[in-house]
Amino acid sequence: MNAFSKFTLGLTVTTAITFAGTFAADAKDITVWCWDPNFNVAIMKEAAARYGKTHPDINVNIVDLNKGDVEQKLQTALASNATDALPDIVLIEDYGAQKYLQSFPGSFEALSDHGVDYSGMAPYKVQLMTLEGKVYGMPFDSGVTGLFYRKDYIEAAGYKPEDMQSLTWDKYIEIGKAVEEKTGHKMLGMDPADGGLIRIIMQSTGKWYFDMDGNPNIAGNEGLKAALTVEQKLLQSGIYKPASGWSDWVSKFTSGDVASVITGVWITGTVKAQKDQAGKWGVAPIPMADAQGATNASNLGGSSWYVLASSPEKNEAADFLNEIYGKDVDFYQQILVNQGAVGSLLAARNGDAYSSADDFFGGDKIWQSFSNWLGQVPAVNYGIFTNEADAAVSAQLPALASGGSVDDAIKAIDEQVKTQIQ
Amino acid sequence: MITARQSAPPLSRAINVNGWLFVAPALCLIILFLACPMLWSLWMSFQKGKGMNLTFAGFDNIIRLWHDPVFLKALGNTLLFLLVQVPIMLCLALLAAVTLDDPKLKFRWLFRTAIILPCVTSLVAYSVLFRSMFVEDGLINQVLLALHIASKPVPWMTDPFWSRALIVIAITWRWTGYNMIFYLAALQNIDKSVFEAARVDGVPAYARFLRLTVPMLKPVILFTTVTSTIGTLQLFDEVANITANAAGTSAGPANADLTLSLYIYQLTFKFMPSFGYAATVSWVIVILVAILSSLQFWLAREKD
Repeated sequence: MNAFSKFTLGLTVTTAITFAGTFAADAKDITVWCWDPNFNVAIMKEAAARYGKTHPDINVNIVDLNKGDVEQKLQTALASNATDALPDIVLIEDYGAQKYLQSFPGSFEALSDHGVDYSGMAPYKVQLMTLEGKVYGMPFDSGVTGLFYRKDYIEAAGYKPEDMQSLTWDKYIEIGKAVEEKTGHKMLGMDPADGGLIRIIMQSTGKWYFDMDGNPNIAGNEGLKAALTVEQKLLQSGIYKPASGWSDWVSKFTSGDVASVITGVWITGTVKAQKDQAGKWGVAPIPMADAQGATNASNLGGSSWYVLASSPEKNEAADFLNEIYGKDVDFYQQILVNQGAVGSLLAARNGDAYSSADDFFGGDKIWQSFSNWLGQVPAVNYGIFTNEADAAVSAQLPALASGGSVDDAIKAIDEQVKTQIQ
Repeated sequence: MITARQSAPPLSRAINVNGWLFVAPALCLIILFLACPMLWSLWMSFQKGKGMNLTFAGFDNIIRLWHDPVFLKALGNTLLFLLVQVPIMLCLALLAAVTLDDPKLKFRWLFRTAIILPCVTSLVAYSVLFRSMFVEDGLINQVLLALHIASKPVPWMTDPFWSRALIVIAITWRWTGYNMIFYLAALQNIDKSVFEAARVDGVPAYARFLRLTVPMLKPVILFTTVTSTIGTLQLFDEVANITANAAGTSAGPANADLTLSLYIYQLTFKFMPSFGYAATVSWVIVILVAILSSLQFWLAREKD
């Protein structure tokens, strides 16, 4: 081969590569990490299909991982600065939002710079993703809480759905005892090591482990004290069936074993998946705690979408989120009906689906209830150490169950949290 | 040529270029993937901060260890597992090996396979199975109730004592066979005539075991003790999958099963990432392994 043909061959190869390059740049790939195939994965597919109609050049690639893996992969890639291992959009649970924003500064794209209108979003969702005046994420689903209960078991125990409407925790325990006496079923499934219920009760009183400035607020926190008092009463009352871990907890109510479940609205899809239980379920507001500022509304979990600043397609990703999650009211109606997702776009609450009756719940307009409660969820600052505080609370639960004093538990939690947060 | 090499003084072997070239690829990889990360983690253990915002902090992390109730709890749990589980497992492995070494035993291969089989299963897979078997209304409790061994379900997951017992049962199930292999192999290397001579001299069976078998297995017992100690100090998969809560922020009731390795994982991936402090805790494990291993070697030294 002479020098000239070598040169032309080289030129051809280079042109081919350039062509391939421009071709790839035409169809842009947006990679998304999320974790629940029946929920946020399915919703993201719907969003991608809607966006694809007006933007055929964008291809959304959804990767379904488990939640722990998403967090671990994200944290590893950010810590090692391996940005090419990262997706363009990632789903982050709200409790962890500030942790990521503050631990890895500059890694997430501020969507307030991309023209997202946050004034129409649920305020507590916007607040938890705001750092130094910039808003980073696209608020997604809300974890507004409700009390799901079996109408048949409650009625067998001599109570009516009206009795469930504005409960106190003492009344709830009283009903639980009646249910067990009459039907043999326990009132709820509960993981005695899990602090989820404590978070629900605490936020319903407008308090959190941290104050609005992010400083620990454990000792002297009325909301936490009320929550621990309720937890102790529940642990000692014997109205719960012990569950170990997530799937075991879910099976307690899907199997018809227990009479109620108190959790975020995102569980609705799982409850409704038990077709044979149609018509037997009702939804009520959560019981009210005995503390100042207590409400019947709270939040558990919920998550939001974030765009990685290192992504070459960050502008497209931001536009995609803004077009669908930031504006499309019709989209929110569809994911409400199909997946039971209560979104954070307030305008969506005026759509048809929100006022529709649900046959599974005996024709009750449960979505309207949830969106009303959503407006009442007290805004708190989740801070950056919620997992640490949760672990400290969890460590005190066995002592509470065996009759230890709530004040001692609070003191121990306070000490542990203070050494853990540095 | 070969004779010349062999008779060369030791010093010239150290500067033999050919030799170094042969080991160079392996050496480079070891330095790159083993030595460098270790030195880097040592450097990290003197830094603190949230996530990537690390700054040099001197001995702050080491001081933090003493005031951290969670670390002290994890350290206590890990040492407890070590002191309780390793002796139980090694005694069982030794007994099983001696029993299965008996040529008169029928179906020897079947028992051997049955005991060794657990150690080919994946750690996570067996942990998940154990979890589902030991939950409140799981298989184990149903069997115990049906056989009237227990009058009410054993709180495997909700009581600190029983959740620790569960972890000990799980690791013992998984690793006894593994250690038994070493004892079996060692037993087959012992000259049988020694035992025959002892038997002819009228030495009873228990004394043959204590005075002959055990001393002759000493190097292997030392080896299994050291590897089991290291393994238990690094205990992670079982506690992370059997008794850890759904959020992965605690293990067992009141953190009764939290181990040092699991705490390192929490500090890195579950809590506000404290890479520096997590590195400090991992160096605690290194130091513990070094101390305990040298202690075991010293205890087992030849006393002539």
